[in-house]
This record gives sequence, structure tokens and C-alpha cells, in this order.
Amino acid sequence: MAGDINPTLHTAGLAAAEAAMNRALELAPAGRAALAELEDCVFALHCTAPQLDVFLQPGSGSIRLMGIYDGPVTTSIRGQASDFAELATANDPAAALINGNLELHGDSAPLIELQRTLAHLDVDWEAPLVDALGDVAGHQLATLLKGAFSWGRQASAGLARQLEEFIHEEARLTPPRLELEDFYREVHELQMQVERIELRTARLRKRLHEKADKD
Amino acid sequence: MSEKKTTHFGYKEVDKDSKADMVADVFHSVAARYDLMNDLMSAGIHRIWKRFTIELSGVRKGNSVLDIAGGTGDLAAKFSRIVGTEGRVVLADINQSMLEVGRDKLLDTGYQGNIEFVQADAQFLPFPDDSFDCITIAFGLRNVTEKETALRSMLRVLKPGGRLLVLEFSKPENEVLSKAYDAYSFRLLPLMGKLVANDAESYQYLAESIRMHPDQDTLKEMMEDAGFNRVEYHNMTGGIVALHRGVKA
Repeated sequence: MAGDINPTLHTAGLAAAEAAMNRALELAPAGRAALAELEDCVFALHCTAPQLDVFLQPGSGSIRLMGIYDGPVTTSIRGQASDFAELATANDPAAALINGNLELHGDSAPLIELQRTLAHLDVDWEAPLVDALGDVAGHQLATLLKGAFSWGRQASAGLARQLEEFIHEEARLTPPRLELEDFYREVHELQMQVERIELRTARLRKRLHEKADKD
Repeated sequence: MSEKKTTHFGYKEVDKDSKADMVADVFHSVAARYDLMNDLMSAGIHRIWKRFTIELSGVRKGNSVLDIAGGTGDLAAKFSRIVGTEGRVVLADINQSMLEVGRDKLLDTGYQGNIEFVQADAQFLPFPDDSFDCITIAFGLRNVTEKETALRSMLRVLKPGGRLLVLEFSKPENEVLSKAYDAYSFRLLPLMGKLVANDAESYQYLAESIRMHPDQDTLKEMMEDAGFNRVEYHNMTGGIVALHRGVKA
């Protein structure tokens, strides 16, 4: 169930999310075909913070979101919202599941397939634009938007890279990643050395006590 | 002891035999604009209430579902997709006009193959015992002349382990909300009915029939008395609507 959330609000939220997902799927034929292969699977997502349960059931060409599901589920995962966000955006969902904080029950393969399908949805925005504006204007606008999105993605990646370089190399606000990893390794070695010295000191102290007792 | 021969029709006390005809007149009158009025009156929230009903029904592929007082087929359409070609959905309504509107709407939108349309009285369901995995009645029970008889009839046609879901207007939990709801129901609702459906009286009946309908706990008791097990209810939108669920042992 929806934890503390009012059933009307919870159901309304799921209805809106489901409508948005299914609208996107209508424009992504490859994603729709991939989801059809997961038909009959039910994924239970139990979010602990905020408390929220969502059951996700892919069908042929659509996804159904439910707040309550009494039947058997294929895969059940439990964790915080941030853990789910990490999995949803991961390039390698298997690694995210193994290394992340999500608790998983059931079959992980369909879940990984679902994550891959949803994360790589190739939405064709041209179709609705052509429907609304006609062939020529729709195509022109779609090409323009595609170019703008592509430029935006490149610009964003470039900006992120340059910002990282500035922070690390120019402003020296934080150390570079490799330098930081070296530092952590040295700290770890130091910690091991301290532990060894501590144990050796304890052994010597014990010996001294034993010798003093004999004398 | 002599059996009570009258029942209520909104705030009026009427002869039991005449209530069905009076309710039929109301729905004959509103059938054509039923969906539009539902959207207007509830600001579209009735779709959320029905969606929650479907979730709680636990209906799956291959199930057989009876939607009583199914009206214009909102629930039947959703169930038809869920049960798939191996399943069966029966849309039943006592009112011919409502059934016709529902049948035309569903057929026009491509729902066919696993849906049947049956004109039936909820008190005397024309199906064999143990026929359905799930029965739903959304905003229909308050119009039934003898609710106890209808609940027993539903229990009879449910399979053991089958579920009955009653979605119905109920009693708001909060006093302030209750007052606001009263003002809305008795002032705005008949006015909207007059403007949109040119029928203020039917919507006056709607408001009155909601007030005369048993509250959450009373309906729960009625379901238990009829023989349902594990009866529970969920209040929605502050108790304006409640969803009761009971299981046939």
C-alpha cells in the first residue's frame, strides 16, 4: 500500500506517471517491443524513504502502475528513493544492483532488462509534431529540436568537463580523482602500519609484564 | 411481524415496488450525459476512485468479472484489458438506456470479444452459483431497492475466494468537509444538472440518495451479515467515497 499517503493522492500520482510513461512509449516503438517481452512480469518497488509502494507491470505496448498488488511478483526491490534513482540512471544496472544499497528478492534479469529498456527509450518526437503541424513544418521543427537537444547534450557534457578541469586544475578547489585515490591508499597503508605497531606494542607490553612477574 | 413495504427514494418514502421504476426514470433521463456529468461533478476524481477499485480488485488475466450497475462501462473497459482474451467481463445494468450507452461506447472504442452485456437486477442476478472471480458495483448499490437481497445475490454468484468491491458515496470523516460537501450537493449539483443535462430533479435525487445510503461501518456490517468475510473499507477523498471489499469464503 502507499504507506502514509492518502489512497486518492497515491492513485492520482500513479495514474499521471502511468499516462506519461505510456505516452512516451507510444513514441518509442523499439522500447515498446522490448517491454512486450516482459509481459506477465510484475516488479515491486518498495521505497522506504519516502514510504511508497509501486507495482510495475509491463504489457504489450504499455506499462501499468499500481499501488496495490496481491499476486506473486517477479522481482521485488526495497530501498530509499535515492537508491532507486541511482539504479534508474545507471549505465550498468547489474553493477548498480550489486554495489548499491537496494535489497533485491526474486529474479534480477527481468529487472535489469526493464531498466535498460526504460533508460534507453528512443522517443520519436517527430510523429506528434507532424500530426499536429503537417509534414513539412513538423519535420522542420523536429529537426530543429533534435539539433538543439543534441547541441544541448554536447554543450552540457563539455561544460561539465571544463568545470571539472577548472575546479581540479585551475582553482585547485578539490584534488583530482587520481590524486585523491593515491591519498586514500596512503591513508589506508598508514592505518595498517599503525595497527601493526599497536599490536607489536601490546605484545611487548605483555612480555614485559610476564618478565616483571617472573623477577 | 409484517414486512416493511416501503423504502426510500432520496428523502421520499415510496412503495418498494415502485422504487425500481423511479430510479429507472432518473437514469433514462441522465444516460446520454452521464459521463460528462460525472466528470463535471467530481472534477474527474471519479476516475481515480475507479482506478483504486481496479487495483484493490486483484483481477488478473483469465479472471471472470461481473460489473453490476456498470453504466457507461468505465470499469468494464479496464477489466476487459486486464483479463485478456482468456477472461470474461460481464457488464450488467438494470437500466436499458445506461446499458445501451455503455455498450455503444465500448464497442465504438474497440472493446469486444471478452465483454458481455446483460440487463439484470442486482437483487436477482441471472447467473449460476460460483460464476465470478470478482464483482464490482460502483455508485450503484444506493439505488438498489433491497441492498441486503442484492448483497446475498452477489455472494451466491461469486466463486469461493472471489471478491466483492462496493464503491459508493459515503460519510465524510471531517465535519467541515461534510458541511462544504452538503452545500455543494444540494446547491451546486442540481444547478449543474439543470444547466448541463437539463434535469435538476435527477441530481437532487442523487444528492438525497447519497445522504440516505448507509455509512461506512453500517455497510461493512451489512456485507458481513450477507455472509462476506474479511470485510474492510478504504475511505477516499476524506470519506466522500468509500471502497468496501469482502471475500466469499
